[in-house]
Parts: sequence; structure tokens; C-alpha cells
Amino acid sequence: MGASISKMMNKIFGSKEMRLLMLGLDAAGKTTILYKLKLDQDVTTIPTVGFNVETVTYKNTKFNVWDVGGQDKIRPLWRHYFSGTQGLIFVIDSNDRDRIEEARTELTRIIQDREMKDALLLVFANKQDLQGAMKPKEVSDRLQLEKIAKDHVWKVEPSCATTGEGIFEGLAWLSNNVKMPAAK
Amino acid sequence: MVREDEESTVSTRNSPPLRSQYPADSTEKHVEYILVASFDIDRGSVMEHQYPSAISGDETMLAELMLPDQAHVRSQDWTIFFLHKDTSLEDEEREARRAKKRRQRQERLAAENQEDATARAEEYDAGEYSDDYVSDSDEELNRADDPDGPPLVYVLNLVNTKQDNTVKRGAIVKAMAICTRHSFLHIYKPLLLLALEEYFRAPIMETLASLYNALNDMDLSLMPKLSPLESHVLQATDSKDMFIEKFDQMIRHRKEIEAGKESQRTSASSELKPKPYSLPRDTHEFESKVLYNGIPVPIKVPTALSPETVGDFSLIKLIQTFSTPHTTQPQPFALHPHLTTSGAFTHPIIVLINALLTQKRIIFLGHNRPSGEVAEAVLAACALASGGILRGFVRYAFPYTDLTKIDDLLKVPGFIAGVTNPVFAHTPEWWDLLCDLPTGRMKISPKIDAGTANSSVEFFQQQGIPVPLAGAAQAGFDAKGAVDPTGDNQFMDHLLKGIASRLGENVIRAKWRSWILRFTRIATAFEETVYGASALYPAGHDHDEGAYGVSGHGYVWPDEASRLKELAANVQRIEAWRQTRSYHTFKMDLARRWHKTFIHDIDLAHQHDRLRCLRLTHEQSAAIYLALARVVEEAGRPSTSDSEDDQGLTLDTGRKIAGGKAQYDVILQILSVIPDNAGLFYIAMGLFHPNEEVRVAVVKLLERIMDHAAGRHLWASLGRFAKLAFYRLKREEGHVRGDGV
Repeated sequence: MGASISKMMNKIFGSKEMRLLMLGLDAAGKTTILYKLKLDQDVTTIPTVGFNVETVTYKNTKFNVWDVGGQDKIRPLWRHYFSGTQGLIFVIDSNDRDRIEEARTELTRIIQDREMKDALLLVFANKQDLQGAMKPKEVSDRLQLEKIAKDHVWKVEPSCATTGEGIFEGLAWLSNNVKMPAAK
Repeated sequence: MVREDEESTVSTRNSPPLRSQYPADSTEKHVEYILVASFDIDRGSVMEHQYPSAISGDETMLAELMLPDQAHVRSQDWTIFFLHKDTSLEDEEREARRAKKRRQRQERLAAENQEDATARAEEYDAGEYSDDYVSDSDEELNRADDPDGPPLVYVLNLVNTKQDNTVKRGAIVKAMAICTRHSFLHIYKPLLLLALEEYFRAPIMETLASLYNALNDMDLSLMPKLSPLESHVLQATDSKDMFIEKFDQMIRHRKEIEAGKESQRTSASSELKPKPYSLPRDTHEFESKVLYNGIPVPIKVPTALSPETVGDFSLIKLIQTFSTPHTTQPQPFALHPHLTTSGAFTHPIIVLINALLTQKRIIFLGHNRPSGEVAEAVLAACALASGGILRGFVRYAFPYTDLTKIDDLLKVPGFIAGVTNPVFAHTPEWWDLLCDLPTGRMKISPKIDAGTANSSVEFFQQQGIPVPLAGAAQAGFDAKGAVDPTGDNQFMDHLLKGIASRLGENVIRAKWRSWILRFTRIATAFEETVYGASALYPAGHDHDEGAYGVSGHGYVWPDEASRLKELAANVQRIEAWRQTRSYHTFKMDLARRWHKTFIHDIDLAHQHDRLRCLRLTHEQSAAIYLALARVVEEAGRPSTSDSEDDQGLTLDTGRKIAGGKAQYDVILQILSVIPDNAGLFYIAMGLFHPNEEVRVAVVKLLERIMDHAAGRHLWASLGRFAKLAFYRLKREEGHVRGDGV
């Protein structure tokens, strides 16, 4: 009963739900971003065993954000989270030039999966507070987004998870660009 | 004979020979492996140490299981999982070990016979049938899973996450696991806590070794071995001293051996330190201790184990989790012929039991819950389905699993798995029934196989008996308070009332056992009705025709109409169950058990049920009482009736014990068919029978039961009214015959 009323309200006031999947190499800052979104606080995170999932409401949109551990051995599991994902947040450690190639390989594999064909792609060029971090343009070039994400709507957002810079802007972009499936 | 020995023969006269469940000289270890895994920030889950050697199988897979999803969000989590170890090589070893054990036993028996003059006859005889007796129950325990494969290795795992600013990324996640073939693995929890703490201090192989040695030094050798029937009877009682004689006998025997050894060595110092042996406070548990790092950790090991009961779980908790939301705000299920046997508002626990019996893919999901909690639910579900009667659930249970195993999991036809990752809820292709622990709701998958139609539905329809089809047009079944052809609604109401009035876990388990037993007996009647014979009744029809003056077998219904109605209500799930592993295992178990039971020519359960459920004429009930009494008396008289003297004084001791053992088993068999709560009530009713011959026979029967190690407890809980009648009859009898007892 309660649920159906709030569903109705949502329809009236245009609020929507969106399922997001946040991936990236280990130690890119995914969990820090998640808890910055959820709690608007800088939390000290430890490596994610498995996954975290949280619901974040921002500007009338309820985001279900999945944050999945990034160690290379567990990356094959990412595919199990693809189905039903409307937006992919791919987090890059902008200071880790050594592994940007590795990140590109992983991103290519994800974004070209059949189940992800309709997903928006938001890349957080994270850790902008560090000296010598790659700028958004450099990140998109190195990831070859023009090529690998040519069938997707995408954006690179400079961010700093610890201060929150860029994080909510990214969410707003996702919220504005999502194509809602026809109302049920 | 010395007086003391006489006493010992009296108290153990009716008992089978005693063996330890876990003999001190056994080569089977309590614990087989200790493992340590950690979460490496670069490589993910990795195995750090294994003791005493590397366990076979995929190391990474093990490490992943040891570090459950979201281990990083809680400081501590327990998990349980099972290993299906390939043991072809170990089997040979075990065979060799068994042969060695037999040899040792014979040597020991021979030695004891020389040592102990008075016990000679007893031990001699014990040797005679202990060989098949002991190996029988060995078979029951070790080889119990023969048709399916080698016994499982149970793994109890503890994972700790410690915040530590000195290490890269601020935390250490480590897990330690104990691998054992004992299903009561939860007793090791306190030790694992201590040892993992120790490992954080000293992350070296020696830490594993000291735990391994401490655990395997645990002494359970004074724990008597029980036969399957004895285990069953012990579990069904709340009495804290049932079979205490056996514990006593174990201790006395040990003392005798020690005294013997002492006197051989130094006869002077023998009285210096008599080892303190004490009887258990509750015979359901055997108390021992494990000395780890100088700390004596008390341990309680269950004496009687049911098949398919692993770890500690609570059926009450499982039932309540899914009953509460259903009671307060019932939600309709999508209909499925095997599952929603009472319509869209079938009780969730009944949907679950139906799913278990018909071998569906079942997932327990506990998002944001410790993985220990989902594991507990899975283990409880296994016990629910088994009821200590059916098997084949634990082997296909995955108390905790995660995405890394999904591809393998989906190859298993019918499983029970516990997960914490909500991605499972989004993928209905992976399961048939999803049980969500946080909300207490179950969901039948929209992708579930609809189930094939079966011809036995027609069988009932042709006779004009309505078969409840889980189709749409069944308003009658859906409304609350409507007809309840399966009796499940009534059963669940009764069960929930019991839980509300704070009945204990054991009582609730016994009630479930009765549900499962009833289901199997209905299935037997179903097969006989529809197919003419049942594989679940190994005797066949001709076996019960009046051997003891009574006939008939199987489940008892008040009349034919209610029988057909109930069978029809169960068509779908019985037919589906008949295609499953648990059905086939059960069929084989019954056949195997059949060859072991002493009494074949009378279905004791059937006769007791007739006393319990039917309005019988005096002639009919007389026949039953006389049959029961005769079964017991004849068992007490071994082979040919070469002696009328049942005091047994003129018989030689060996023969007396053989007869005693048979009688002991028959009484046990009678006690085991009495449903919970009934006690000796229905048997004692025979004390009021108008026929004097019956009254006398029942007095005699009750006397036998009173003398019985388990029976005396049932006698003790019999009502005063019946007891008074018993003593009155005894007095009258004495008066007439002019001799007391």
C-alpha cells in the first residue's frame, strides 16, 4: 500500500529510479565515491571484498549504486552485474598512468558487452587533487573513448572523491541523460 | 559370581555391546585440515597456509569461499561450506584402516577375555554379533552416502577484518577454517576464535599446527556408540538421563582396564590418582575439553546425530522468519503445481518444504546480513526437508556461496544455496524459489519450469475425486479458512501455536519429523493405490497377513473417502518427489534398514496408529495388544523354545544376552514408532481392556518396557491413572496366583 502510493507520487513529481554500476581497477576510489554520495562524508575505506551497494537519492532520482571490487582476479565477475544497468560509472585513478592501458582494456570489455549496449557511460577522472593528475581530455584520449564508446552517450568528469568535487555533477549528468523506460 | 558383577549384568543385561563413537585408537581424525586465507589488495583472495598438507582442489576457489562478500564491512563473520572431496584414494586407505580396526578389535577382545573372567561370556557373545552390529552402524554413519559418493568434508570458517593504519589501504582481512567430517562442526567455534586471534599475532604455520594438534587430542573415547534407533529415541526425549547406563558402563570399563594396567605396573601406587570420570549432566551431550595454548576449552558433542543435521541452526528461527510477514500481511504466490499445494496463499514454509522435496533450486538471500546467517538458514532448510528421515539435501546444499561459483552452481539440478549478494534477486533464471531473509518473503521464479503433467491425476479424476490443480480456478483453496485437503494449514497453525507457547527446538524438530514421516507414509499409500505396489514398502503385501494375529500396514485413515481425498491432494508433490534424489535414496535406505530390523511380520507403526486414531471394537484392539505383547515376548525367547523359564537362570549367559538384545531392539522399535507426546498412553489403555487376557498381557508388556533402558523413561512420564491401574492389576494378579514378583 505504502509503496504504491509513493510510486504514484513519483509519477506525479517525475521522480525516477536508476540502476548504476560502478567499476574500475582496484584502489581507483570507487568505494570512497560511493560513501561520499551516500553520506556526503569522506570515509576511510578498506579494500572491498565482493561488493557494496547503496541507494542514493539526488535531485529526484533514486540511484541504486553497485560498487564491485576491482582486483584483477575478480573482474570476470563484473559481467554478472551488467543486466539491468542503466549507467556505468567507470572510475580512473588519474595519477596512475602505468595502469591506464589496463583500465582501457577492462572498460572496452565492459562497454561492448551486449547487456550494456543501452547504458550511459560516466568516467570519473578521479584523484584530481594529486599533483600531475591526468586532465579529463588526456583520460578520454588514453581510454580512446571516441572509438570504444562510440555507440554510447559518455562523459568524463574530473573528480576528487575525498572533497566531493565533480561527484554530484556526474550524478546530475546521469540523471539528465537517462532515458526512462516507458512508465509501467 | 561376585555381587558387583551381578549388578553390572543386571543394569546392562538388555543393552547391546558398547563401543565408543570415537575410539581413542581410531585413525580417523577429528579435524583433517586447518586453512588460512587472506584478502590481498592486489590479488584478491589468496590461500596463505594449509596444515598438515595442501587440501586437494582449487585453492583460489577455497580462498574465495573463506572470504565472503562484504567481509570488509564487518569485523567478524562465520561461514560454513562443504567440500566434495575426491576420495578414491582415501577410500582405499579407509578400507585398509577398517580392516586394521577389525583386527585390533579382535585382538582387544581376546585380550579382555583373558583379563576379565566375569565378562567373558558377555564379551564373547558381544564379539559374535558386535561384528555385524558395529559394522552396521559404521555403515550407517560412514557409508551412509554410498550411492552418492564419499562423505562430505564440512568446513567451519571464521573471517576477521582488522583496521590497521600501518598497512597499505588500512585493513587486514584474514580467515581461518577447520575442515572436519564431523557434522557438529559448530563446537569448534571458540577454538577458531582463539586461534585466528593468535594467527594475527603470529602468522606462521606453527599456529595452524598447534590448533590442529589440540583439536585432534580431544578425547571422546568415553562416548558410547548408539544404534540408529537408539539415537532416534534419545533425540525424541527431553529426559536428561536416558541411556546414562551406557555412559556408566563406558566409564566402568575404562576404570577396569586402567586398574588392570596399574596393578601390572606398580601395585603400590595404583591408588594414588584415580582419574576423575563423571557422568554427563545431560546424555544428549558428551562433555570434553580441548587444551589449546594452555587454555582448557570446554566442548559439548551431541551424542545422537540425525542425518542431514549439520552445525547449529534453529528451525524455529527459520519458521518464524517466513511466518511473521505471512501472518501479518499475506501475499499471494504465483501458482505452481508442486509448490502452492494449498493455493496462492499456501504457507511459505509449506512452499519451501514442497520446493525442497521436489528438488527445486532454492536460494536464501541475506543482503547486508552476515554470511553466517544465510548459511544457518540453508542448514535449517536441509534439516527441515530431511526430518532425520530423508537424505540427499546436505550434499546439494551450498550454505554460503557467491558469484564466483555461479556457473558451477547452475550445473547442479536442484540445490539449496545461501548468498548475500542481491544480484541473485535480479536474476530469476538462476533459481526457482528465492527466500529473502531480511524481508521474510519468498518468491517463486517467473522462469520456473512449469512441471510436466502426470497421469495419476487422471486416476483420481476418473473416480470423481477432485484433484487440486494449482491452476487459477480454485477460489475454494485460496480463501482463508477454506478447505485444507492436505492438512498443511492446520499443521502450520498448530506448529506456530507451539512456537508461540515457547516449545523448544527439539520439540519443533520432532514435529517436523512427524510431518515428513507422514508425507512418506502417504506417498507409500499413494503408490500402492495408483501403481498397485510401493517401493517404499519393502515387505510387499503378503508380509503382514496375520503373523501375530493382526494384519495391515501403512498410514491409517479413518475411512476410505478421506484416504482418497488426502492422496488426491498430494498427487502433484508426490509425483514430483518420486523423480528426486531424496526419493531414490530413501527407497534404498528403507530396503537396507528392512534387512536389519528384527520384526518383519508386523507393521508396528500401523498397529499403534490404529490404537491411536481409530475406533476399534474390543476384539480388534485385543488383537493388537496381544500382538504387541507377543512380539516382545517372542523376541526375548531366542531361537527354539527349549526353555519355558523366562527368568533365564538356567540358560547359559550368552544365549540369555542374545535374547535380551533382540527383545531390547524390539522394544526400541516399538518406542520409535510412537509419535511425539503420545508416550505409552495408547499402550497403557490396554490395562482397561474388558478381556482379562489382554490386561495381563499388557501388564507384562509394560513391565518389559519398564525394564528397558529407554522404555523406563516413557514409563516414568506415563500418567498416574494408568500407573494406578497397572499396580492394581499387579496386586490382583498376585492375589490370584499367590506369588509376588
